[in-house]
Amino acid sequence: MRNYLFKIPFIFFAIILLIFFYLLIIERNPSEIPSALLNKKIQKFESHSLLYDKKFVSDEEFADEVILVNFFATWCKPCRDEHVFIKKFSNVDGLKVIGINYKDNSKKAIKWLKKLGNPYSNIAIDAKGKIAIDWGVYGIPETFIINSEGIIKYRHVGPITKKTYKRISLLIEEIK
Amino acid sequence: MLKEKILIIIILFLIQLSLGSSGSVEPDEFLENNEQELRARNISKHIRCMVCQNQSIDDSDSPLAKDLRVLIRNKIKKGKNDDEIYKFLSDRYGDFILLKPPLKFSTLALWFLPFIFLGVGVFFIFIHNKKFNNF
Repeated sequence: MRNYLFKIPFIFFAIILLIFFYLLIIERNPSEIPSALLNKKIQKFESHSLLYDKKFVSDEEFADEVILVNFFATWCKPCRDEHVFIKKFSNVDGLKVIGINYKDNSKKAIKWLKKLGNPYSNIAIDAKGKIAIDWGVYGIPETFIINSEGIIKYRHVGPITKKTYKRISLLIEEIK
Repeated sequence: MLKEKILIIIILFLIQLSLGSSGSVEPDEFLENNEQELRARNISKHIRCMVCQNQSIDDSDSPLAKDLRVLIRNKIKKGKNDDEIYKFLSDRYGDFILLKPPLKFSTLALWFLPFIFLGVGVFFIFIHNKKFNNF
């Protein structure tokens, strides 16, 4: 009986090893942190619009539609890489694409959009990164999906790739 | 000779350790009120830099860390207390931004498993010794 009891610590140890090993081999990115704002209402904000000569008021822009919000900047190389996918999203029926231009030079941003094409229906200027902090953004590009009730359903950190594009597209269909 | 050299290296290393980090706070960020500045430094030391992830924002040179240091100082100036500032940040970035995880139901295992393992270990050593003495 006692010998049997003594095996318990070793079994315990083996289980812990297995758990660690499992976490090592599964496909996951430990530096990608789930958003604390998932399933919460978006933060209201006001800013200037990069595209139009008027204010950007979140209450007016985020209403009764599924919205993709993309934080981007011209100085961010991965933003340029994912731009082609943002453009694809702008062609999806029933999806509005809003940009938030993070700590950028507005003139450069407008030039950048003219050259690469503008997928955004409106763009808010976040000159000091305050909107980004309110949204829990820590590494642009970041992309959020907001449902028609203004609730954040998904957040992706980093550039959108072919793989994430497919995943996000499916999710948008589900939310719609 | 070699021994002396090694000794000097060890002493220098210890001095460097004891000095600790002076942080990455830039001069333009400092608050005029010393007490408030100390509070800001203390909070910054407990907030994780989300970019570097294993550094506090007090130690980090990343632009986001600087933004958050300035934000903390602005909130202190507006009269917010420490708990309100921690809550503001964890509401947006999650508990992950707190370098010390809060004690709540979902973190019970994190806080108490080490003590349980210690207890189990002591228990087995105790039984083992008892058995050994019986021989």
